Amino acid sequence: MDAARDTSNEASRVRVEGVWKVFGKRPEEARRMAEAGAGREEIRTAVGSVVAVRDVTFQVSPGETFVVMGLSGSGKSTLVRCVSHLIEPTEGTVEVCGTDLTQADSATLRDLRRRKMAMVFQHFGLFPHRTVVDNVAYGLEVQGMDRGERQERARELLDTVGLEGWGDHHPQQLSGGMQQRVGLARALAVDPEVLFFDEPFSALDPLIRRDMQDELIELQMRLRRTLVFITHDFVEALKLADRIAIMNDGAFVQVGTPVEILTNPADDYVRAFTQDAPVVKVLQACSVMRPIGGTEVDPGWVKVSATTPLEAALPHLLGSTEPVLVCDEQGAPMGLLHGDEVAGVISPDRR
Amino acid sequence: MTAANGALSRIGGLRTGWGSGRARFALVLGAVVLLIAAFRILTDSGVFPEAWNIGLADPIDRARRWLINNQTSHWLFVFFLNPVTDTLDWGIRRLESLLEWFPWYSYPLFTGLGLWWTRGRVAGLLGLAGVTLIGVVGLWEESFATLSLMGVSVLISMVIGIPLGIAAWRSEAVARITRPTLDAMQTMPGFVYLIPFVLLFGFGRVPAMISTVIFALAPVVRLTEVGLRTVPQSTVEASEMFGATERQTLRLVRLPQARPAILAGMNQTTMLAMSMVVIAAFIGAGGLGQVVLQAMQSINVGKASEAGIAIVIMAIILDRFSTGIATADPGEDARAIRWLAMVTAVGAVVGGFLGFNDFPDALGWRFAPYVNSMADWARDNLYDIGGSGIGTGPFSDFVTLEFVTPLRELLSAGIPWPAMIGIGVVLGLWARGLRLAVGIGAALAAIGLLGMWELSMDTLGQTLLGVAATLAIGLPVGILSSHNDILRSALKPVLDFFQTIPSFVLLVPVITLFHVGRIPGIIASVVYALPAAVHYTDLGLRRVPAETHEAAESFGATRAQRLRQVEMPLAAPELMVAVNQVIMLILAMVVIAGLVGGGGLGLEAVRGLRRSDAVGRGFEAGIAIVLLAAILDRLTRAVADRLRPPAAV
Repeated sequence: MDAARDTSNEASRVRVEGVWKVFGKRPEEARRMAEAGAGREEIRTAVGSVVAVRDVTFQVSPGETFVVMGLSGSGKSTLVRCVSHLIEPTEGTVEVCGTDLTQADSATLRDLRRRKMAMVFQHFGLFPHRTVVDNVAYGLEVQGMDRGERQERARELLDTVGLEGWGDHHPQQLSGGMQQRVGLARALAVDPEVLFFDEPFSALDPLIRRDMQDELIELQMRLRRTLVFITHDFVEALKLADRIAIMNDGAFVQVGTPVEILTNPADDYVRAFTQDAPVVKVLQACSVMRPIGGTEVDPGWVKVSATTPLEAALPHLLGSTEPVLVCDEQGAPMGLLHGDEVAGVISPDRR
Repeated sequence: MTAANGALSRIGGLRTGWGSGRARFALVLGAVVLLIAAFRILTDSGVFPEAWNIGLADPIDRARRWLINNQTSHWLFVFFLNPVTDTLDWGIRRLESLLEWFPWYSYPLFTGLGLWWTRGRVAGLLGLAGVTLIGVVGLWEESFATLSLMGVSVLISMVIGIPLGIAAWRSEAVARITRPTLDAMQTMPGFVYLIPFVLLFGFGRVPAMISTVIFALAPVVRLTEVGLRTVPQSTVEASEMFGATERQTLRLVRLPQARPAILAGMNQTTMLAMSMVVIAAFIGAGGLGQVVLQAMQSINVGKASEAGIAIVIMAIILDRFSTGIATADPGEDARAIRWLAMVTAVGAVVGGFLGFNDFPDALGWRFAPYVNSMADWARDNLYDIGGSGIGTGPFSDFVTLEFVTPLRELLSAGIPWPAMIGIGVVLGLWARGLRLAVGIGAALAAIGLLGMWELSMDTLGQTLLGVAATLAIGLPVGILSSHNDILRSALKPVLDFFQTIPSFVLLVPVITLFHVGRIPGIIASVVYALPAAVHYTDLGLRRVPAETHEAAESFGATRAQRLRQVEMPLAAPELMVAVNQVIMLILAMVVIAGLVGGGGLGLEAVRGLRRSDAVGRGFEAGIAIVLLAAILDRLTRAVADRLRPPAAV
């Protein structure tokens, strides 16, 4: 998804700078200890508070999918709540669409939430007392849109996520995967520029999770929103991300594209994740390709679509020295796969 | 919550400091024996010295006289109490006359339709028949009186309770006041609420209504708070993320999700109000309770049964209707019900203008005479069946002579009062710690200083006997029911039924069989508390996880072993909660049974309510009841906490 990265010189949609979150008493002291290199347990026994997020800085460009990957307790859920301002960060700045949330009064924040951002939750966060269509229409209702109009819009979105005809059911009558589609439709209904995903698929069965991931990729290709996606699943991160941030003990260990992380892990902690990753299944042609630039296209080159898994492109590379051409949905060339470069990504020695 | 946890861990620390297990038990036993022995030698009488009576009764009586004398002149009455009384009374009367304006047939029809909507066709038919039966036995007007008093009480409870619950949810400061207050309010037998309000407002429906509101308030406040607190955080976050204002989140997300809990609170509040309105007959609240009360005083069991059944019908209808609202699903009948309701409404208005108010006499039929002759027959034939020495009479005598009287004498005189206080203190120390011990000691001493020692020990003795009997029956039944689903589903409607009946009404059938005295009071209290004993035992044992059962079974434990070594210890805290509930129910009933010759504190309190020169004593008795209830409640709860396995860290 290089197209997204090309726009990175535009103003970033989400800008997070020096964010700290300390739960408990004496946050200043806990922060100083953390800055001096003390670990989580050490600080907890000394000060009695937990440093959940330590000094996190990142920016997300318009249309980019930024994935924060960490194990449970790494502070990733706290981070996304700080960024969406569901909780107040102890320290640091968070800007969404150019507005500094840490300085904003509640009316500004509310207005921003109504128009610019939305969130999809791990346990869906659907309202059990409302029908599916009323769930999807909730954001519009809060904005003050009248009933007929918001219901119509909600039904359109239900069609988009493949839930036509389910509008009058209650969420608890739906399967987990369908419930999260409702959650997705609800978030999309307000037409947000920035979408936060807090482990949205981790409560789903593996097969359904894969479907949802594929659908999200497809949706993102069409809608090009700015996504901040939290997950504990490294494979999911590889699959969805333009860039990944690996989080451990409250801090970012490494930030980079999936290929960068696979080929050049920052330390043993990151390397441990890369070792077992089914790289050829997860990586898609577009994430390993070299951008086409001004290269002349040879009509004899094998063409694959951007979303083709690397696995499917491999046979074409193995038999020849020619590159494979990666094209977008319309068949326009996007980039090239070179055998030696791909080998570098997938060979375990390099990781 | 954190404060409670802190307190618990402190107690935990103290507990370990106190030694453990058998050593502590021996210590307690030794201390008790020593105390009794010491005081037996040192004092000649075990009764709390009458000379130490602080004489609270006199100032109370004086206050009462002052209140009566100044009722028409003092500003407190003219500008505050009397307007309050008048307004509330006006409200009750308005509702009553509105109820009476509608034609008689609208009530069975609307009840039937309402229950059909919430509970289905059978319930609808039963409701229709039930309401008709109330009219048939000629208790139409009395029912309206009860219903309007209840209606206004419940309405006021909601108007106060729901906002209070919201406030308690929103502000920890408010919750810290409401929670212990509500706990204390629920511990007290409803009866004692009547005393202070009679003092202030005199007899009538207004003090009855105010005490009903206070007695019934707790559940709706508590469940509103709990309902709001248990709304999933994820839905609240979702709402916030869409930029909802706090008010929008409350109205659109929190309150709708708390609705089932709030409805459950309203149901419980309604049922408490029902039982209180009946008891409030003691202070001239009128209505069905008054009929029962008067009939019982003239030993007219038949009349008491008619009114009692009317009360039970009303209680069950209200219960089924209010528990059904949350889950009402009339399905395909919805259209028919709506149509019929419309027709009935038109019929009701037309009938109201034409004046079909009174239940037609032609439909009247009294079963009181039959009940009376049955009661007479029972008295003649069951009292001492064929002179064999077996029957209700000899049974009463036997229990009285062998248990009630000796226990009363043991508690009030046999164990000297200082030893009794000592036992209370030691139990408090053992169960929780110094604070509880001091509290119990102070409460017992206060009972003595009020001059209520003997009466309190009488009540305590009856309560303990009732508890013993209830547990002796309830625990085994509960154990059986927890192992047997068929028995359980057979018991359920019976238990539900008994739990719906207002306590006071239970005295009617018992008196039919056992006349007056302490025995019927104890028996009624056992019947009253038995459902709770069975229910909580069953619940406690069923909470034992299936894996634990399987683990025990895989080690080859027999059923008896499993019950003794695994299930009972694991369920012990729940069982102790059952004991706590049973004790509180029995105490409440034993107090009410003072009316039918149960003696003890209840009798003194009743006397205080009925005779203006005994108000002071009644007030003292009321305080003693409250203190006794508080002691028993805190002690059993502390023991339940002790039995809980250490919480996971």
